[in-house]
Amino acid sequence: MAKHHFEDRLWHIMPPEHLNEWEREELIALIACFDRSLDDLILQQIAAIWPISTALCFSILEELEKTLQRIAPADVPEWVRRILQIFEAEGLRAARAFMEDADNIYFQRMRGQESLVFEEVAGRLLPYVRGLSSRNLQLEAGSSAATDTTTVFLPGEISVFADAKQNFLLYKLIATFQWVLIDKDLYCHKKADYPALCADVARHYSTTPASEEIYLTCFFNSFPHPEYAREVYCLLQAVRSASFLKEHLPGLMADLQGVFDYFASMECERQSSQPYDVVSGLRFWLLAVCLGSGKPEVSRETAEVIKAVESPQVTSLDVMKATFRLCTLHGGATPDSEFPAPFVFQGILQPAAAHRARLARREENRTQFVEALASLLLPAPEKSQGPPSEGEEGLSQQPLPDSGITLMQFEPDREEQSKESADEIRYIRLDDQDLDMPEDIQQLSRDITEDLGGIPSTYIDSARKMAGGGMAGRNGEAMEQSEEVSVGEKMYDEWDFRRQGFRKNWCYLIEKKITATKGSFVAATLEKYRGQIVQLKRQFEMMRTQHRFIKRQRDGDDVDIEALIEALGDARAGQAPSDRLFIRLLRDERDIATLFLVDMSSSTEGWVGNALKESLIILCEAMDSLGDRYAIYGFSGMRRTRNIIFHVKDFEETYTDEIRGRIAAIAPVDYTRMGAPIRHFTKILGQIDAKVRLLLILTDGKPEDYDDYKGEYAIEDTRHALIEAKSAGIHPFCITIDRQAQDYMAHMFGEINYAFINDVRKLPLRVPEIYRTLTS
Amino acid sequence: MATTAMESKSQKIEEHLIVEKPFYLVQKNELTIGLAAYKHGIPLLLKGPTGSGKTRFMQFLAWKLGRPLITVSCHDDLSTSDLVGRYLIRGGDTFWMDGPMTLAVRHGAICYLDEVVEARKDTTVVIHPLADDRRELAIEKRGELLTASPEFMLAVSYNPGYQSVLKDLKQSTRQRFIALELNYPEASLEVEIVSHEAGVDENIARSLVRIAGMTRGLKDSGLPEGASTRLLIHSGLLIKEGIPPREACRATITEALTDDSELNAAIDEMVSAVF
Ligand SMILES: Nc1ncnc2c1ncn2[C@@H]1O[C@H](COP(=O)(O)OP(=O)(O)O)[C@@H](O)[C@H]1O
Ligand SMILES: [Mg+2]
Repeated sequence: MAKHHFEDRLWHIMPPEHLNEWEREELIALIACFDRSLDDLILQQIAAIWPISTALCFSILEELEKTLQRIAPADVPEWVRRILQIFEAEGLRAARAFMEDADNIYFQRMRGQESLVFEEVAGRLLPYVRGLSSRNLQLEAGSSAATDTTTVFLPGEISVFADAKQNFLLYKLIATFQWVLIDKDLYCHKKADYPALCADVARHYSTTPASEEIYLTCFFNSFPHPEYAREVYCLLQAVRSASFLKEHLPGLMADLQGVFDYFASMECERQSSQPYDVVSGLRFWLLAVCLGSGKPEVSRETAEVIKAVESPQVTSLDVMKATFRLCTLHGGATPDSEFPAPFVFQGILQPAAAHRARLARREENRTQFVEALASLLLPAPEKSQGPPSEGEEGLSQQPLPDSGITLMQFEPDREEQSKESADEIRYIRLDDQDLDMPEDIQQLSRDITEDLGGIPSTYIDSARKMAGGGMAGRNGEAMEQSEEVSVGEKMYDEWDFRRQGFRKNWCYLIEKKITATKGSFVAATLEKYRGQIVQLKRQFEMMRTQHRFIKRQRDGDDVDIEALIEALGDARAGQAPSDRLFIRLLRDERDIATLFLVDMSSSTEGWVGNALKESLIILCEAMDSLGDRYAIYGFSGMRRTRNIIFHVKDFEETYTDEIRGRIAAIAPVDYTRMGAPIRHFTKILGQIDAKVRLLLILTDGKPEDYDDYKGEYAIEDTRHALIEAKSAGIHPFCITIDRQAQDYMAHMFGEINYAFINDVRKLPLRVPEIYRTLTS
Repeated sequence: MATTAMESKSQKIEEHLIVEKPFYLVQKNELTIGLAAYKHGIPLLLKGPTGSGKTRFMQFLAWKLGRPLITVSCHDDLSTSDLVGRYLIRGGDTFWMDGPMTLAVRHGAICYLDEVVEARKDTTVVIHPLADDRRELAIEKRGELLTASPEFMLAVSYNPGYQSVLKDLKQSTRQRFIALELNYPEASLEVEIVSHEAGVDENIARSLVRIAGMTRGLKDSGLPEGASTRLLIHSGLLIKEGIPPREACRATITEALTDDSELNAAIDEMVSAVF
C-alpha cells in the first residue's frame, strides 16, 4: 500500500484537524515502524479506539510492537477489545497497566492455552475462602488481585499455564494470599502507635508529616519516595504471608511448586545481574520462601530485616518499621527506577478502598450491635407455652418496660480493662442485674473493640432508645384492629444479607381468623371444574397406595415373630396376650403433612386472587380423597410490625362448608413480606409428627413490603427463610404466578424447589397436579 | 454399645460396668456439673453436634461414679417394651426380661438414651416419671412400680443442630433436666484427642483439626454441620493405615459431610491446602 494512500485512509478515520501537528507526526511515526501488511489491521483498530480515547490510542500503538512479538496479528483485535473493556471499566491507568504487564495472563491465553475464568472457580473458592477465614468474605472478579478486607478480588481470567489445573492452583493461591493479607492486617487496622512511627519517618527525611486519615498512606507519604516505600512494604508483607502459609497450609504450598518455579524463571529472566537492589532482593526472597529454597544474597543487614518479618509474632507495625529500616539502609531509592509489576498473587494495595470497607463495617457493626442490644433489653415478646387465648390485643396487655430501665454501661474499671482485652466484655448491667451477653453480641463487641478500642457509649444510648421506641411503635400499630380476631402473636428474626446475620426479633407476626362468607364462589367453582375434580379425586385416591410393612397387626401377610413371642410370653405369664401378631403390607401409610401458604398481598387482586382461591377449592376436594393432613393459611404484611397470617384451615380441622366459606373469604390485603410467615410455619410444621412435611407457598412474584423490604434484601430474607425451613427437615416448595420467569426465582427458591406458572387460568389445575408429583 | 432387649440375652448388669478408665479429656465444667446432677438425682441432658464426645463423656462419668452404663440408641421403631421389658419364652416357660431402662433402675445404673429425639414421643413418655422427683418406672405388664435407688441416673442426648424429624424436645421434657452443652473441643484439646484416639502424630492431628475448623463455619454457605471430632479420628485411622492424607480425608471428611458438588470441591481444596 502506498504511503499516501495509507495516510489518506488514516485521516479519513481520524480527521487531522482533531490533532495538533506534533500528534500527527507522532502517529505517523508510530505506524511507520510496522510491517505494511499490517496496515489494514492497524487502521481497523485505530478506528475502534480513536473515538474512545486519543491517549489510549497512542498507548496502544506504542505497546503494539512489543505485543506483536507475543501474539499473532489475528489476535490483536481481541487484545484491543480487552483493553477497551478495562479502559471503560477502570480508566486509562488500568488499561496501561494491563498492557505493560509483561506477564500478562492475557497473552498466554492468546497462545492457545487452557484458561480459567473467575465464574468457573468462584463456586468452589467462595466456601473455601470462607472456611479459611471463618468470615463471610465475598469474592469478586477484578482486573487484578486485591482486597478491601471485605471482598477479595480475583483476576477475571487466568491463563498463565497451559494446564487448567495449574491455572486453578494459581487462582487458589491468589485467594489464599489475599485472605492471609487480611488476616495479617495488611492495612494496619489494628490499634497501634502508627502516628509516632510516621513522625519518626518524617523527622528522618525532613518531610512534613502527612496528615492523612489512613495511617498506611500517611506512612508512605512521609517518605521522600512514597511509591518506593509502598513497594517495599508490600513485598515485606508478602514475605511474611508466604512464610505463614508455608507453616499453616503446607499442602497448598507444595502443590504450588510448579507455579512458583514459573514465577522464579520469569524473575531470573527479568533480572540476571547481581547485586540486587532492595526490591529485586525482596522479590527473590519472597520466591525463595515460597519454594523453600536458598535465600538470595543480599547484604547482612537487609537479610536480618527481612528475616525478622518471617516470625509469626510480627505485627503490621513491625512490618512498617522494617520498611523504614530497609529504606534507610539503602539511603533512599533512585526515584526514577521503575519497579517490576508485583507478582500476580501479591495483589494491588488499596488503602482507600480498605478504609471505606472498614468504615462500612463499623457502621454495620454499630447498627447490628445496637439492634441486638435493644432486643436484649426488650422483654421477651414470645408468650410461654399453652394456647394463646382469643381476643388478645397485640402487646397492650403485656407490661411495657418504662423509663425504669437504666442500662448501665460496663463498670468503669471494667471498661478500662476492655481496652486491653476484648474478651473482658462478657455482660452488661441492667439496673442491678447482670445480663449475660449472647454469643452474637459478644462477637460483635469483640469486633467493635478491636476496631475502636472499646464500645462507644453512644452505641449503648442508641440501643436503649431503640428498645424504648420500638416497643411504643409496635404497641401503637398493634392497636388498630380489624374485624378479624387476633389469636396470638409472635416475634421472628429477619435475615439481613448485608451483614450475613439476623435482625433479631424483627418481625411481629399476628394470627387472625378469617370469617367465612356465604357467596356463590364455592358453588360456581365446583360447577366450573366438575369434570376435573372427579378426575383429580380418582388420581389422588390412587396415590393412597404406598407399600410398606407394618408390624403388630391383627391380620396380615406374615407372622410377626417378635410380637408372637411377646404374646406367648404374656399368655404363659397369665397376661392377656395381644392379638396383633401379623405383619401387613400397608397401603395407606402416607405420612405427609402439608401446609399451604397463600399470598394475600394486594397484588393478587383480581384474576390471580381468584385463581388462587379456585385452586384451593379444587385442591381441597381432591385432598379429601387422599387423606393427607393439610392446613391452609394466608399471609400478608405491612412493615415489620404487622405481619399477618390468616387462619383458613389448621391440621386438625376437616374440610367442611365452613372451610369452603373461609377460602371464599380470602381477599387481598397489604404487601408480601415472606420471611416471617415462612419461619412461623416452619416452626408449626416442625411440631407436626409426620414423615414428610411440606410447605407449599403460593405467590404472585417478588416479595416486597412498604418499607425497605424490597429487592435484594427481601429476596435474600425469603431465600434464607426457605433454607432454614429445609434444614429443619421441611420441604418448602413455591408455586409462583408471574407473567414471565424472573432471574431471581431460581436463586430465591432454589432451582428444584419451585414451579412457575405464567398463565393464571392454568393455576387451578396445576396446583393439585404439582402436589401430586411432589408427593408421589 | 447400644443395647436393646432383643439383642442382649444377658441381663447381667456387671457387663455394663466400665472397669477401665475411658480416655476422656475434660473440656470445661462438664464433669463438675455431671457429678453435681448425679448427687442431686437430677437427670442430665447432653446437647451438642454429633461426634463431639457426648457418649464418651457418659462413659467417663459412669466410670468416675463407678456405676454401670446402659446405653440405648434411640430410633423411631423403638417401642416401650424395648425400653421397659417383655415376657419371653424359653423351654416352654415364660420369663420376664427387663429392658435396659428397667435394668438400670433396678440396679442403680446410669441409663443413657442417645439421640432421644429420634424416638417416638409415645415411647419417651415412660421417662417422665423417672425424670422428675418421683423417680418411678411403671412396668404395666407386671403391675410393678419401681422406684429408682439414689444410684440410678437418667441421661439423654440430642443434637440441636440436627433438625431432621422431631427437631425439638418438648419443653415439658427438657425442663426436667440439667442441660450440658458439649461442643467440639478447643483446638489444642482436639489435637490431643485425635492423636490419642487415632494413634497419629501431633502434626497430622493438628492438620486434621485445622481442616475441621475450616469446615465448621460454613452454615450460611450451605453446610449445616462441619467435621466432627469423630470424623477426624476416622481420617487419622486411615492415615495411620498408610492411606495418603488427601485420600483419607476425602473418604472420611469431604464425602461424609455433603453431597453438594461445589461444597465438596471447596472442602477438597481445604484438605489439599493443609495436607
Ligand atoms: N473430650 C474428649 N475426650 C476424649 N475423646 C473424645 C472427646 N471428645 C470426643 N472424643 C472422641 O470422639 C469420638 C466421638 O465422640 P462420641 O462421644 O461418640 O460423640 P457423640 O456421642 O457426641 O456423637 C469418641 O469416640 C472419642 O474418640
Ligand atoms: Mg453418640
